[in-house]
Amino acid sequence: MTAPTTRNDVAGAAPRLLLPPARGAIAPRGFLHWQRLLLSPRTLAVKNRYRQYSRAERLRAAGFALLGVAFGGAVFAFFYRALSYFLSVPDFGPVLTYKLLGMVFVTFFSILLFSNVVTSLSTFFLAHDLERVVAAPVPMRRLFYARFTETVVDSSWMMLLFSAPAFLAYGIVHETGVGFYLMTAATLPPFLLIPAAIGVSMTTTLVNVFPARRTKDILLILAVFSIALLYMLFRMVRPERLVNPEGFADFTAFLNAMQTPEWTFLPSTWATEILFPMLGLRAGRPYFYFILLVSTAAVAVMACEAIVTRSFTRGWSKAQEGRQTRKALRPLWERALTLLTLPFQSTTRVLVEKEIKIFFRDTGQWSQLILLGALIVVYVYNFSVLPINGSTLATFYLKNVIAFVNLALAAFVTASVAARFIYPSISLEGRAFWAIKTAPVPASQVWWAKFWSGLVPLVILGEILVIATNAYLQVMPFMLWLSTATLLAMCFPIVALGLAVGATYPNFEAENAAKVASGAGGLVYMVLCMSFIGAVVTLEAWPVYVVFSNRFSDTPLSLSAWLGVIASLTAVAVLMIGVFGLSVRHGIRRLERLEL
Amino acid sequence: MIELIDLSKRYGNTLAVDSLNLRVPDGEIFGFLGPNGAGKTTTIRMMMGLLQPTSGQVILGGADLAANPLAAKALCGFVPDRPYVYEKLTGAEYLDFAAQLYSLPDSVRNARRDRFLDVFDLGSWGDELIEGYSHGMKQRLVMASALMHEPKLLIVDEPTVGMDPRGARLLKRIFRETAARSATVFMSTHSLEVAEELCDRVGIILQGNLIAMGTVEELREKAGSHADCSLEAIFLRLTGGEDDASVEALLA
Repeated sequence: MTAPTTRNDVAGAAPRLLLPPARGAIAPRGFLHWQRLLLSPRTLAVKNRYRQYSRAERLRAAGFALLGVAFGGAVFAFFYRALSYFLSVPDFGPVLTYKLLGMVFVTFFSILLFSNVVTSLSTFFLAHDLERVVAAPVPMRRLFYARFTETVVDSSWMMLLFSAPAFLAYGIVHETGVGFYLMTAATLPPFLLIPAAIGVSMTTTLVNVFPARRTKDILLILAVFSIALLYMLFRMVRPERLVNPEGFADFTAFLNAMQTPEWTFLPSTWATEILFPMLGLRAGRPYFYFILLVSTAAVAVMACEAIVTRSFTRGWSKAQEGRQTRKALRPLWERALTLLTLPFQSTTRVLVEKEIKIFFRDTGQWSQLILLGALIVVYVYNFSVLPINGSTLATFYLKNVIAFVNLALAAFVTASVAARFIYPSISLEGRAFWAIKTAPVPASQVWWAKFWSGLVPLVILGEILVIATNAYLQVMPFMLWLSTATLLAMCFPIVALGLAVGATYPNFEAENAAKVASGAGGLVYMVLCMSFIGAVVTLEAWPVYVVFSNRFSDTPLSLSAWLGVIASLTAVAVLMIGVFGLSVRHGIRRLERLEL
Repeated sequence: MIELIDLSKRYGNTLAVDSLNLRVPDGEIFGFLGPNGAGKTTTIRMMMGLLQPTSGQVILGGADLAANPLAAKALCGFVPDRPYVYEKLTGAEYLDFAAQLYSLPDSVRNARRDRFLDVFDLGSWGDELIEGYSHGMKQRLVMASALMHEPKLLIVDEPTVGMDPRGARLLKRIFRETAARSATVFMSTHSLEVAEELCDRVGIILQGNLIAMGTVEELREKAGSHADCSLEAIFLRLTGGEDDASVEALLA
């Protein structure tokens, strides 16, 4: 008699592929284990990337590090010079030191808040790897802390890196000793956690409250909210008071007012109040503010945890619904925009139209324009309230010096905008770029299509900044023409450089433009841009000074002065053409060789 | 139509494709087979100019891809293994875009766009943003975009992965019709059933080397298999995965 055939017997005919079921209970795992596990894809990716680096890539990484150090050095030099100067000014020096520290923290806080809102939308709701993790039996609290850590790191590392030289300069100039550095190191972590907790909570709430059929709406609201916040914070610093002490009853009242924090319940004020007394310029209650900062950070993180653990699942689900189908919106203005492409040759036109359509259908991209609008308003508004009319400081000299400095600032703003919109444009093609790469379209045509798509709006932005502010300043015609022409000309190399660096460091895996812009290539681009702008402004400084001094003293320019002016302006032209030409050549070549 | 001469690609220390020589005439459906990681996709991406060869030449329709890339690319329609497309365009816009990259006149473009949207069951989806399409729909859209300019050479990487039976059948018809017009179809596939049914000749690549090439009958002879032996058995014999010994060795 044979035994009945079992499933195992059947399987026994061939070797078993699967291992027998595991026995015994799975040991419960602790908090740190989960954090290590959930963050391991990121940490391992970094480790593996480094391990796979060839010698050339390691050298390149070392080059990046050196660039970073050089930039850090420049930040240090700026703060060192500024603080040393402040120290030499009696009475007014400590006020300026205090104001600068306050501005550093307010700027950090506002940027961190916005950066955390945007980053957390990705890390908590839109990241591709979330599907895998959410589908796994991962406790919600563990997931929260892992994602929160990622958010804090992603949105704060650059800020932390570049703030270090600034704080170092404070310590050295004021000969503070170790205590100041230790206190700085202790102050920054809670200071970073607060905007992160607020940002994550805001994102989670918005994703839950609004019908997240489209992430667009959320981003839009976040953008508008951020504008209001940025605007408020900026105005709260009241920078115009620095140059107009006459508005105060007397100088003592002015100094007192300047040393009074604007908003005592802002964490940036607390951080300033912790560090400023440690510089030895005035007494304060640093430990009180430190405890306030740490306890607020702890409460904020716990509140954030409560919000996320309670509402993540619903928000996540809604965010998925947001990926459902929707009709393409074809508003009139989009069609009007495509009319602008008519001057181009047919293939270039197709490529430019594609750029425009994709830009205006991607909420993450176009909503940034609202921020840009706010930036322009705040920028120009500040010139409108500069106390240069009727004030003792309101001289012909001051107006034109400000106008010249404004040229550098406007160029810097333009470059920053290019870093956010133009530098990532090649990376944003993503994996879909194969369609263009495999088509019989020269790389140069693709490059020029991107160039024109970026140049026109950038020129408009830059010229608004320069012309509007110069109108408020009522500068001499020479300054107006010089600023307008220089900025117009600078936009060409700035855009070309953005595309060249973008083609050199493409990141086709990036989920959004902000991620591309915050990468190593973005840093290289900004450093190159700032060096270029710095060189142009330096070369133009002398002709401006000469023309200006002669106008001031009402004497005609001598022949040698004329030759000097022409030589300087020629050098500017050569520099611009050189950077532009090299960028175009290099960019097109990189685009041709780009591998997918 | 296709000529690959000593084509190699090296990634660091790994030689992904090793001196590949291959010639595919006009009007042929050529199947490019091989196990995972054998070098199929790398070869195809080099053929389309998406990867630079470490050495060797790609000649398409008589045009050297390195020396005259635009002429070579103008002949080709390409369907990648994963259908990455511009998610913020509509299906119809994407087809228009693809056609215009090949300078198709407007009237031809419009007619073909509408035709292909219908043929590939995307007619009612033409005005929807691609971000709402399923994987299979994106694949069909990419296939349609590759056919818009009536290419002389259709290069397809894994055409049937993720396609439903209806889509797969449609694809086979398209390939046959394309070849009937004297155009060449070069496809890499894991589906041996598709290869056996469609391909005039098959090449098998293993660790970057072309280890066998010919009709299914010729390969059968080469592998020493009997007459009714399937392409799957031939493939496994030639690529060394014929029995489960390697699996057992792994589990030991």
